[in-house]
Amino acid sequence: MGKITIFSGGFGSGKSEIALNYALAKHTHDHQVILADLDFVNPFFVSRDLKDSLLQKGIKLLSPEGDLFFGDVPQIPPHMISYLKQDMNMVLDIAGDEVGALVLGYLSQDVKNRDYEFLLVLNPYRPFARELNDVLNLKNKLEKASRLHFTGIVSNPNLVEETTEEIIAKGHRRVVDYATALDLPLRFLTVEEKFFAAFSPEYKSILKKITLYLRPHWL
Amino acid sequence: MKKVLMKGNEALAQGAIDGGCRSYFGYPITPSSEIAEYMARKLPLLGGVFLQAESELAAINMVYGAAATGARVMTATSGPGMSLKQEGISFLAEAELPCLLVNISRGGPGLGGIQPAQSDYFQATRGGGHGDYHIMVLAPNNVQEMMDFAIEGFALADHYRIPVMIMAEGTLGQMMEPVIQRESVPLLTDKPWATDGCKNRKPNIINTLHLSPDVLEQRNMILSDKYQEIKRSEKKAETFMIEDADYIVVAFGLLSRVAKKAIMELRQQGMKMGLIRPITLWPFPDEVIHQAAPQVKKFISIEISMGQMIEDVRLAVNGMAPVEFMGRIGSVPSPQEITRRLAQMVEGEIK
Repeated sequence: MGKITIFSGGFGSGKSEIALNYALAKHTHDHQVILADLDFVNPFFVSRDLKDSLLQKGIKLLSPEGDLFFGDVPQIPPHMISYLKQDMNMVLDIAGDEVGALVLGYLSQDVKNRDYEFLLVLNPYRPFARELNDVLNLKNKLEKASRLHFTGIVSNPNLVEETTEEIIAKGHRRVVDYATALDLPLRFLTVEEKFFAAFSPEYKSILKKITLYLRPHWL
Repeated sequence: MKKVLMKGNEALAQGAIDGGCRSYFGYPITPSSEIAEYMARKLPLLGGVFLQAESELAAINMVYGAAATGARVMTATSGPGMSLKQEGISFLAEAELPCLLVNISRGGPGLGGIQPAQSDYFQATRGGGHGDYHIMVLAPNNVQEMMDFAIEGFALADHYRIPVMIMAEGTLGQMMEPVIQRESVPLLTDKPWATDGCKNRKPNIINTLHLSPDVLEQRNMILSDKYQEIKRSEKKAETFMIEDADYIVVAFGLLSRVAKKAIMELRQQGMKMGLIRPITLWPFPDEVIHQAAPQVKKFISIEISMGQMIEDVRLAVNGMAPVEFMGRIGSVPSPQEITRRLAQMVEGEIK
């Protein structure tokens, strides 16, 4: 049975990188994974940038088409709903904040008819995820816009190139507190590969390594 | 948790708040909209004003009104919006009203695209509106500078009574880097010219209509003197390995970081390359280029445009060395691409 996994959260929380990594990892286990890039807010650092390498690996990408591939208007990919109605593994990459989550409101009925996970991605080093109040506020706004309830949290504590083990550990503790307060299970802790070994003993069951595909290599 | 992971647009907005800005008037446009969104969230909590105007024209004239009262005020947009604001900017310049203008640039002309660009260089540095005027233009190249230049921008604007623009490629507005938040500056500065209620003084009048030719000329002289003083005091550039360089690349903004990577690669291959990065686009840092020119075989201006800053580079070089151009439209070129094309230019020279 195919499953829908949705990554949502604040702007810049790491949703697209995590969705890409998740789709690529899942694809090795299942026959087919479909990645839907539903970021219509702007075309900078979006998962559809990896269109060619996704295709090479056999992952189908649903994204705005034609010139709107580079656009910032809400063009829902033409086959989106028909795929949702089928029994396939889908990963949905949603744009940030309640503005970005609005598209889910439109799709929510079809999502609810399926087995799905709706995950809140949190990086506590981002400006609007540093305090519990902000996170609560974000969660409520996202749920209202998407007409779905979150089923879990993805902890993505990082300062990109300046990330250290201490940064991850400290940030993750904060996200654990958020998860407790929000009464949601912590589904994943995501770290770059170089930190995987250090956190593996303690967090084996939830730890996922991610490669930053969208980060400019020259930074 | 001292460091925060911020988008360039968010850092700029936070910097503006730390720089004392409590008034924002604007109209959203990709890729600048996060600045408006950040201000919409933060300013009401600080007792400030956020207003999404009905148009760019309305927004820039609200900036004029708020600046006239002495408030620290800003607006942010992208190229098409900045075009609409030009009339108001000309008025702000003549009225000598301090304010911060932000252009998170996308490609033109016309509606163009949403991808990063530097093709509003002429508009920013030549005074895109009518009349003899300049505004100061700062070009950050990382997210921390987006924050710091916003703070500095307000200080410069107040000091010289001039609109200050921050211009950054869309990519710099959208990308994230860790930043350290700065101390807030004191909110009130003494502005004896402001129209803030004339208790115990004569009325202040802020006006840009000068029908008398003598008065008009005098006003232009006053502005011109100010621009000369800014040229003397505020030119700013960063240099990298230019002391022994045979070839000097000139590049600003985010692109200057990519160019630096390419130069490091070419240095490893034995080519004597250096970089001059203008930080102020107006006043343009011509002296550092002029002084380097006699020892240099060639300058190469790299831009995300069809070639605009190259004219300022040529004026600075003043015929002492050839000046060539490398440009892309619609994307930030990779270090590999710049390395390859620079190597081709240099090899052509050696042969």
